[in-house]
Amino acid sequence: MAPHINLFEFSAKEVAAKTKPGQFVVLRIDEDGERIPLTIADANAEKGTISLACHEVGKTTTQLGKLKEGDSILDLLGPLGNPARIEKFGTVICIGGGVMVAPLHFQAKAFREAGNYVIGIVGATTKDHLIFLDEMGRTCNELCVATDDGTKGYKGLDFLTDLIAKRKVDRVVAEGPIVMMKAVSDITRQNGIPTLVNLIPIMVDGMGMCGACRVTVGGKVLFACVDGLEFDGHQVDFDELLSRLKMYTDQEKLAYVFWEKGGRN
Amino acid sequence: MEADKEELRIGVFVCRCGFNIGRVVDVPAVAEYAKTLPHVVFAEEGLYTCSSAGLDSIKKQIEKFKLNRVIVASCTPATHESLFQKTCEEAGLNKYVFEMANIREHCSWVHMHLPEEATEKAKDLIRMAVARAGHLEPQTETELNINPSTLVIGGGIAGITAAMSLARQGFQVHLVDKEAQLGGMLNRLYKLQPTEREASEVIRELVIAARANNNIHLHTSTFVHEVSGFIGNFNVTLQTNNSNQPERINVGTIIVATGAEEFKPVGMYGYKENQNVITQLEFEQLLQNGELKKPKKVVTIQCVGAREKTGRTYCSRICCQVALNNALLLKKLDPNIDVTIIFRDIQTYGENERFYKDARENSINFIRYDLNRPPKVTSRPDGSLAVTVYDIYLGAEVELESDLVVLSTPLVQNEDARKLSAILKVPLGTDGFFFEVHPKLRPVDFASEGIYVCGTAHGPKNIVESLAQAYATASKASIPMAAEKIKAGAVKASVNQEICVNCDACVVSCVFNAIEASPFGLPKIIEANCKGCGVCASECPMGAMQLIHFKDDQIIAAIEALFNSEKRTEPDESFKPVILCFACQWCSYAAADLAGVSRIQYPPNVRVLRVPCSGRVDVLHVLKAFQSGADGVIITGCLIGDCHYVDGNVKAKDRVDLMKKSLGFLGIDPKRLEIGFASSSEGRKFATMMTDFVKEIEKLGPSPSRPKRGGEKFVQDNNKT
Repeated sequence: MAPHINLFEFSAKEVAAKTKPGQFVVLRIDEDGERIPLTIADANAEKGTISLACHEVGKTTTQLGKLKEGDSILDLLGPLGNPARIEKFGTVICIGGGVMVAPLHFQAKAFREAGNYVIGIVGATTKDHLIFLDEMGRTCNELCVATDDGTKGYKGLDFLTDLIAKRKVDRVVAEGPIVMMKAVSDITRQNGIPTLVNLIPIMVDGMGMCGACRVTVGGKVLFACVDGLEFDGHQVDFDELLSRLKMYTDQEKLAYVFWEKGGRN
Repeated sequence: MEADKEELRIGVFVCRCGFNIGRVVDVPAVAEYAKTLPHVVFAEEGLYTCSSAGLDSIKKQIEKFKLNRVIVASCTPATHESLFQKTCEEAGLNKYVFEMANIREHCSWVHMHLPEEATEKAKDLIRMAVARAGHLEPQTETELNINPSTLVIGGGIAGITAAMSLARQGFQVHLVDKEAQLGGMLNRLYKLQPTEREASEVIRELVIAARANNNIHLHTSTFVHEVSGFIGNFNVTLQTNNSNQPERINVGTIIVATGAEEFKPVGMYGYKENQNVITQLEFEQLLQNGELKKPKKVVTIQCVGAREKTGRTYCSRICCQVALNNALLLKKLDPNIDVTIIFRDIQTYGENERFYKDARENSINFIRYDLNRPPKVTSRPDGSLAVTVYDIYLGAEVELESDLVVLSTPLVQNEDARKLSAILKVPLGTDGFFFEVHPKLRPVDFASEGIYVCGTAHGPKNIVESLAQAYATASKASIPMAAEKIKAGAVKASVNQEICVNCDACVVSCVFNAIEASPFGLPKIIEANCKGCGVCASECPMGAMQLIHFKDDQIIAAIEALFNSEKRTEPDESFKPVILCFACQWCSYAAADLAGVSRIQYPPNVRVLRVPCSGRVDVLHVLKAFQSGADGVIITGCLIGDCHYVDGNVKAKDRVDLMKKSLGFLGIDPKRLEIGFASSSEGRKFATMMTDFVKEIEKLGPSPSRPKRGGEKFVQDNNKT
């Protein structure tokens, strides 16, 4: 779709039949691989497929990117997590950043079907990393584009302040980098607009057992896998989340080097 | 990056340094060898390359041979790099295309009796420098304008002193205090020793002087609400009580002088339960307001809530002086008042010792208590107090009658300072006080350039010490402001947007707030804040973040050059290990230099590669060394706690611990990787570390990753998965 961003369609009949927007799967490529959580970007119950979008950032995601049509992976567990709350709220802003625009699109579609007026915002660091522009354009009543470097659409997120000042917005749903969800929450906090963020921290089992995915929300420790992925953006301790996410960068790098250089996991 | 396209023309100047190098290393042979290296178009030996004749020769050869990279193989870059860089600049070359090979401190001086090995090592060091030089790029240094104004936060004696010092030098000062009245803690103290002047009088004079100074802009009842920017250009939002309109100012530097508070020992020794149990500060306020009902018997208890096992573990430094001072004032009020000080240790350091002597001479009683048997205060039915204490020297329990118990409690950080620490993005220590970047070398500086700390905000201290710090911060702040501009070195982080995956690992890794995340994750480097440690580059999973002048390709080129020699194949009979030592440019490189200066001999197997910080050493660099056939790799850094970049060495240690677990998968014994720490004064320690490590590697034998003789490439052992 964009450099190092891939969209996959997996055949997984049982998962597809039950998936609702906002849920995720945990997958393993092979016996020695790590388990990675990915938010579901689409599900087609008839075809029995689900879609997953993934940015190549480390060993597993790069390995995933090397798969070809027809390849299979070891296992895929899901759907996990709670479905996003989709109701008729009125005007809903769906804002997505980077690769997470794909799963956000799944939610945006559901909001539109539920009778909301959906304003979509697609963001990325730069023009070339924007994805799902056409899909979001078709799904949403309105579409805005933003980039960090201003190569396409608005530069940064400052325009959101004006947007919510001018329009009556009933709900904001954000899915993307932590810094983006934090920035969105900071902006909407001033107007008191309910803002839901989708958190997908480091996970192991994805079923509430290990506690790796803990997040502090309103002073309470919750587990993203069983309490989320959707949380009140105005209550989330984003700084803690960001620091927890970087716990294993060295390990990830080593795994990548060993895999790339030595063909091992 | 464009430099790759021009043809490399490298010149190598090998220095004899008189006898210093020439007596041990075969300099002519080394210079001849240098000529055989790729892209070297000129090489010569010199008696003293740093002499004017030597420098002239460099300039001449740059012109004659159109050199675009220059290497001097001589002494340590710590002393001579800038001289040679200047020479290159004079000849029209960029200073960043210059590279040094240290063949004196790291070679001839430490292998004085091994001329053959030293010569081989000198060749290796030059080969590494040549390889690295091929990847060097010209850089431009940027200049930042400095707004010659300061924000001083806190209008106590430290803040006012710093403000006055700067204002008198002609700088604009914004002095902010949360209280309506300036003066801070001194407004609440009684008399100061040794003059017995009223504290409030002392501070009043200072406040009047500050108010009268036209360069000082007062903001009372005001909080710092928001701070953004960097040295020279901080944007500050001030919020004044009773005002809806925040005030915005721009300053070049910031001084934190927010002071501290007295700890209130609620629940200890009957404090707040009996009105005759009070703290030292409350006692002074009674004296100040003339409200003290003259007591007959006063007991003072020291170290109340201080020097504890957890939490307030620190000594508050001033309480012993304060207790003695107040005891002496009581005696002066009426010599018949019975005063007892119950203490753990009396700490009246320096000149203050005489107050202890005075107290002894004025019949003040001292009882030393045992931490395990602390004193007890009980109220009697008649309202008087009984203090029971186990006297260590008497070996018995003593009961003291008292009508006033004064508790000496430590200074503690105040809540507003915690908020300020978050606003300024500067750290607090475990004791809650503001935490300077280096306890010895930069005692009033934060890691963030242009922000300084003085007074009790930094920890308990007396007025003299607070003033000394206040003047220190004023002096530090005036350096960039007087210069009006600072030149930022080009060794900065730089991100390649093409391969960045916006994970923001770099943002989290930077302790200097030099990398900001844009809303969609693009890291933005604030060059003014970047100190050039390169930790972010080592944390980046993609190699998108690089440190200019210490990029991965530059470091790896040197590593590969070290091992890519025909001689580095499987050893035949005698095994001479080749060991790569990464040394941070601060302490450990200096320790290696000192080992040289002190002529401390160590085995000649170690090749030092300079990096800005041990935290810059990436797992990739270490793996590359082993892949290329290193028998051992040792990373050296400053002592833990002394890192010039806060905690780069801790990150390096974590990385080594992790890699030790993983090296086995490559068939490399984890003992072949080590990390060591040395301060710049520990030349002997550096030499010992190297000696021990070489011995260890000799025991382990040659690395299985050494290329096989006959050109057969090393094949990874894949059976151990």
